[in-house]
Amino acid sequence: MEACQLTVGYRTKKARNSVASNINFALGQGELMAIVGVNGAGKSTLLRTLGKVQPQLSGEVFLNGKNLANYSPMALAAEISVVLTEPIASKNMTVEELVALGRQPYTNWVGTLNDDDKSKIKTAIWMLELEALQHKKCYELSDGQLQRAMIARALAQDTAVILLDEPTTHLDLYHKVQILKVLKSIAHETKKTVVFTSHEIEMAIQICDTMLLLDPTAHTFGPPCKLIEQRAFERLFPADTVSFDAKTGSFKIEK
Amino acid sequence: MDKTKIRFLTTAVFIVLLSIIGCKQQKQQLPTKNEAIVKTLGYAKGFTIVKEASGVTVITITSPWPNAGAAFTYALIPKEKLATITLNKAAYDAIVSVPVERIVATSTTHIPALEALGVENRLVGFPNTDYISSKTTRERIASGEIKELGSNEALNTEMTLELQPDLVVGFSINNQNSAYETLQRSNIPVVYNGDWTEETPLGKAEWIKFFAPFFQMERKADSIFKGIETSYTEAKELAKKSTSNPTVFSGALYKDVWYMPGGKSWAAQFLKDANSNYLWSATEETGSLSLSIESVLEKAQNAQFWVSPSQFTSYQNMKEANRHYQQFGAFKNKRVFTFAKTMGDTGGLLYYELAPQRPDLVLKDLIHILHPELLPEHQLFFFKPLD
Amino acid sequence: MGSANTYRLNFILLFVALLLCTGINISLGSVSIPLEETFTSLFGGTLENTSWDYILWNYRIPKAFTAILVGSGLALSGLLMQTLFRNPLAGPFVLGISSGASLGAALLIMGASLFSGLSIFSFVNDVSLAIAASIGSFLVLMAVMVVASRVKDTMTLLIIGLMFGSITAAIVSVLSYFTDAEKLQQYIYWSFGSVGNLSWSQLSLLLGIIFIGTILSLVSAKSLNALLLGENYAQSLGVNLKKSRFYIIIATGILAGGITAFAGPIAFIGLAVPHLTRQIFNTTDHRILLPAVLIYGAILMLLCDTVAQLPGSANVLPINAITSILGAPVVIWLLVRKRKMVF
Repeated sequence: MEACQLTVGYRTKKARNSVASNINFALGQGELMAIVGVNGAGKSTLLRTLGKVQPQLSGEVFLNGKNLANYSPMALAAEISVVLTEPIASKNMTVEELVALGRQPYTNWVGTLNDDDKSKIKTAIWMLELEALQHKKCYELSDGQLQRAMIARALAQDTAVILLDEPTTHLDLYHKVQILKVLKSIAHETKKTVVFTSHEIEMAIQICDTMLLLDPTAHTFGPPCKLIEQRAFERLFPADTVSFDAKTGSFKIEK
Repeated sequence: MDKTKIRFLTTAVFIVLLSIIGCKQQKQQLPTKNEAIVKTLGYAKGFTIVKEASGVTVITITSPWPNAGAAFTYALIPKEKLATITLNKAAYDAIVSVPVERIVATSTTHIPALEALGVENRLVGFPNTDYISSKTTRERIASGEIKELGSNEALNTEMTLELQPDLVVGFSINNQNSAYETLQRSNIPVVYNGDWTEETPLGKAEWIKFFAPFFQMERKADSIFKGIETSYTEAKELAKKSTSNPTVFSGALYKDVWYMPGGKSWAAQFLKDANSNYLWSATEETGSLSLSIESVLEKAQNAQFWVSPSQFTSYQNMKEANRHYQQFGAFKNKRVFTFAKTMGDTGGLLYYELAPQRPDLVLKDLIHILHPELLPEHQLFFFKPLD
Repeated sequence: MGSANTYRLNFILLFVALLLCTGINISLGSVSIPLEETFTSLFGGTLENTSWDYILWNYRIPKAFTAILVGSGLALSGLLMQTLFRNPLAGPFVLGISSGASLGAALLIMGASLFSGLSIFSFVNDVSLAIAASIGSFLVLMAVMVVASRVKDTMTLLIIGLMFGSITAAIVSVLSYFTDAEKLQQYIYWSFGSVGNLSWSQLSLLLGIIFIGTILSLVSAKSLNALLLGENYAQSLGVNLKKSRFYIIIATGILAGGITAFAGPIAFIGLAVPHLTRQIFNTTDHRILLPAVLIYGAILMLLCDTVAQLPGSANVLPINAITSILGAPVVIWLLVRKRKMVF
């Protein structure tokens, strides 16, 4: 997947509200990328644009060499799956049913699951450690468990790219790490490209293959160590409040 | 030839000539037997009756409801002729075999006609039987001979079907009554009675002639109507003799609207025929006028008589309902008369039931009220002074 | 919830219940017809009392069919609306469709005073009333579709539908104010709703309408399930939002509009039956819900009609009142028992 001169934002009748502009990056198969930045930098907007959930303002996005705009919804559903921040409308289905919905792009008009579908669902449930929960209704799950179920659904959709918007919000440290580790194994083992937005910059540095740092002055893209060398993180927050320690790859509070 | 042969020939020719002439005469008689007889109606405008030579009577209702687009034709076949005559079903809205033995009626105005013709015992069902005032019919209701059928708008189809009447006399404001349609699909004929659209007192009374053919009682109906007509016209002539021409108004307030009978309405015509000055007689409406209290007060404050003030039965009631009523001279002088006090046992108003059939009684009541000197011995029938 | 076998068993039970309710509905009415006679007539025998024959075949059986069609159609359209708008308070009339039908009927019955001189208004009869109501609901449906294609947010569509409903109801109010008593009474009687007195030809028309609506809904079953996650997720699963919204709204319009045209506006069934079905079947899968809701709707309607007939008495209650009086406590009981709404 790659983006060229991408500008993302909101369009209203009167104005084009550009949130972030001139974004460029290129991703290969099986890479785990994090999109980080300060609040309002445009992380979610960018992710949603990549998933064609909202339209871009200018520039282009290519998937497997083909312009995103040329993909039909059905074809795109087989290539990109998303996990968003919005809550699902109905929590009354079982985990298994939820994950099974991920197979919709491949089933017939009535939605019957064949053996291939069933095995993909099973694999997704296993990867996200949901076997014990699979017959429970979604409203019975904790936030973390529900998040895992949503990821399992995206995984069952068996797409080349998985986009996740803030997958670790509202979770405690253990679960945050758990989710990120799962994402990494998904990327490396199933060779899917996984892109997520996060506020957990320190964790992202430790775990990701590449990172995209959205900064109003200049966006930087590359492997974490490279970005550290470029001192990209130091420009992120006001230096008198927060400073970045390149050796440990962590932020420190300036007293 | 011989003499016998000649004689034979001449008689033969004679006989032939005679028969030819005879036949010609007969041919001239036959056309009169094939003519249909159209019944003459002096006042009613809403229906026509044609008696065909075959014995079939055709009734055409031209005014089943106001502004009706199409007319309804009904064919009445005598029972004994059913086997011999076949009619085109599509040409008639209903085909009824007469005489009718079991009849369902839907409006209290139908009851007096049935009673006058002496066939009230053939009534088997009626919606909202509580409205009926007639004592004879109430007895039949109490004994269960007349079945309660709900309401006209929502006629109980099941019970009507169970009754299996020979005829249903219905009325409607348009052709939309699904219960009637179900009955007709079950081969129970439904005919529309439009007597309530008739605009003149004698016109309404003449509808007894509409009922008559169904019971093969045309002559009886004619003589009954003649009696009513004579009684009415005599009363009218009598009223003309009076020298006074009292001012009259009618109606009452409902919420903020005063409903006043229009100048050409049925009620207004009685007032005119009773030789009174109905203050709104110049208007063209055949229904009610919607007036404000101000315009009524302005015109009728000093009117001498107030007739039919809506549903009120006592001066106290009226005072409590609206203090403006006390402003009227007729109220202050206790010259208010109403028909609302004359009720049947279950609350039905006799006026609505019987007045259309007996306009002569209405007229006499009004003459007695408005010109007391003309009919001093008349007992008030419908109208009574307010309590 | 779970195996296909449990579902199969449930459906068989439901179907049996439906037959039972149909039987009860046909056996009870204002006129008391003994059960043996009903059965004899149903299975081809002729009755001595021909009026009972008439009643059964010309009134009760068409009425039962109408009730089944009306109940299932309304329940189905209610389910569609609740899923499309992801709102448990939605019903088939939320887009203003029944208000449109009411407006059509009101114009025909009471509009003569406004459009005096137009002779069509004298031809009010059963057929023209159904046509007027259909045109009314169709026009509102068209307006809604136009708006739907311009509005991205489905919630906005819901509000706009409610606004359409208000406008049409207001126009009806004005008409009612200026009309005379008989016309008003007739309009009010129409608005009470009625499943009796439909002819076989009208019934077959209604059957066709329900059939089309059901087919459209079945075709949308997959997208309905996806919509349960939300529109963005549904789109990411390949659902063409515009197209599925279109089908769902058209299906609802056809079902609700057609039913209101023939039977008047019947309240509550469309709102309550989907909830009832979800509670009892404990699933949100539309492949189960769609057929289940059809059968439950039919059963509820049959029961309401049986009660409305007031067996044994000449009076008949308006079906609208009965559907609410019977249906509401059932839903309340279910929710209180389970303490949580399944949606």
